[in-house]
Amino acid sequence: MANEPDRVFHVELLSPKQKSPKLEADLDLFAEKYRKVLDAGHVACITDNPMGILSFQGTELIDVLGLPVRPEQVSIHLNTFHTKKDLDGILTQAIAMGIDNLLAISGDGSPRLPKLTGKDIGNAVESVTAVELIRYIHREYPDQFTVGVAFNPYEPPAHEMEKMRRKVDAGAAYVTTQPIIESHETLEQLETFGIPIVIECWMSRKLHLLAECVGYEIPEDTPYDPMANLRTLMARYPHCEFYLALLGFKTQFPLLEQACA
Amino acid sequence: MKIVACIKQVPGTNDCTIDPETKRLKREGVEAVLNPFDLYALEQAMLLREAVGGEVIALSMGPPQAETSLREALSCGTDRGVLLCDRAFAGSDTWATSYALATAIRHLGGVELVLCGKQAVDGDTAQVGPGIAAHLGWPQATYVSAMPGVEGKRLTVRRMNEDGHDVLEVDLPAVMTVVKDLNTPRVPTLRSCLAARKATVTVLTAADIGADARCLGLDGSPTRVVKTSPPPPRGTKTVHIAGDGRTCARQIVHELRMKSLV
Repeated sequence: MANEPDRVFHVELLSPKQKSPKLEADLDLFAEKYRKVLDAGHVACITDNPMGILSFQGTELIDVLGLPVRPEQVSIHLNTFHTKKDLDGILTQAIAMGIDNLLAISGDGSPRLPKLTGKDIGNAVESVTAVELIRYIHREYPDQFTVGVAFNPYEPPAHEMEKMRRKVDAGAAYVTTQPIIESHETLEQLETFGIPIVIECWMSRKLHLLAECVGYEIPEDTPYDPMANLRTLMARYPHCEFYLALLGFKTQFPLLEQACA
Repeated sequence: MKIVACIKQVPGTNDCTIDPETKRLKREGVEAVLNPFDLYALEQAMLLREAVGGEVIALSMGPPQAETSLREALSCGTDRGVLLCDRAFAGSDTWATSYALATAIRHLGGVELVLCGKQAVDGDTAQVGPGIAAHLGWPQATYVSAMPGVEGKRLTVRRMNEDGHDVLEVDLPAVMTVVKDLNTPRVPTLRSCLAARKATVTVLTAADIGADARCLGLDGSPTRVVKTSPPPPRGTKTVHIAGDGRTCARQIVHELRMKSLV
């Protein structure tokens, strides 16, 4: 039985890389973290080839590792770097497993990853973004999935809000932001869409790794306390949910309940 | 159909340096990957197997660590992995390498089709595929971009050339080098990766395949690299464009057109 925590966090679980020389150990660690998240009553969010690095899919990990699925507690990321056959395979397997929560993102490509085309999914437009992906999922698998989308507050606001409008029109049911440090002015604008907001909290002390996301250099020695940032965000945005990226399972995970107190 | 897909482990980076003494690539300390063009050869081999039945063997020549690339091929779905690994192969140029691979293909027996990537991204010679065909005395088609038909012992293929493409009918057995327009390589699954890690990769020496030692290594390599030099640095120029958005966009398009980039 899972705990019923005071606050449910969306905990990011990076799927093991295909080229890992210590694959078996990585799989064991993934399974251990997954079970921990579920047992604590949080939501396990499994990534999809992050940074374009070939990794294993959430559904196949759960299947092969024999992990339990509690529908309210599992979310898989799904990007546009799949063949249509693989995409349908993932969606069909997710339904069979009882997974109904997806985070649809355009994603990061690499030469090794195929890219969905408009033709593949019956769209007139050749390029496929998260918008086309959501439309496809809702059209081909009606009423099967709650689909969330990503929002980047570091992009030019007018452009990002327009993209967000198209995502909501396509059927986005919730939005997960890029990492927020303390606060961000665009979050208020996001509320106008009337869908739940999940704020990403960067749990690594290495703040400079966010440089690519925010679009400017962050000095390596920039002091940053992730738990303090989480507490600040929870106090400032009490009505939002929180996505914990790169959470430390040894040091930070045991402190989550304390952070909510 | 018994198909051999030749693969090569190459440095996974553009930061390779050349040993000034040996004139060879320095591979130490550089991440090794499966030559990207070989993925298309592997995929086509598996598509053919799915269409007409048979067996796909991934074949490579290299040091013991090249086994990793063979396991990657196995995770993509090949039936067997064979590594030619022997000090006798060291220092082989493209001619000696293609001799060794052709000898191994004969040793495997009953092979009807050999598929190779159009070239390896480290040497960029594109000579090994045609070299295998020459050593085997088989017909070849290079730069194959489509395989629309298989009929008995004959394959219809489309090959790219500088002006467009040729459509060829090739009698088997044959050797083909392929380009990336041919297919979309599949992504290995977790199950296939786990199975590949446990699979046996057959290691064969020069003696195992009955190769003539005089045709291998430096002795069997007619190529002599007398000098290597880095390419001249590319000239870069920063152009500052001022004005409103429309003016800037026009100017950028003009600059790109002048360079025939759009």
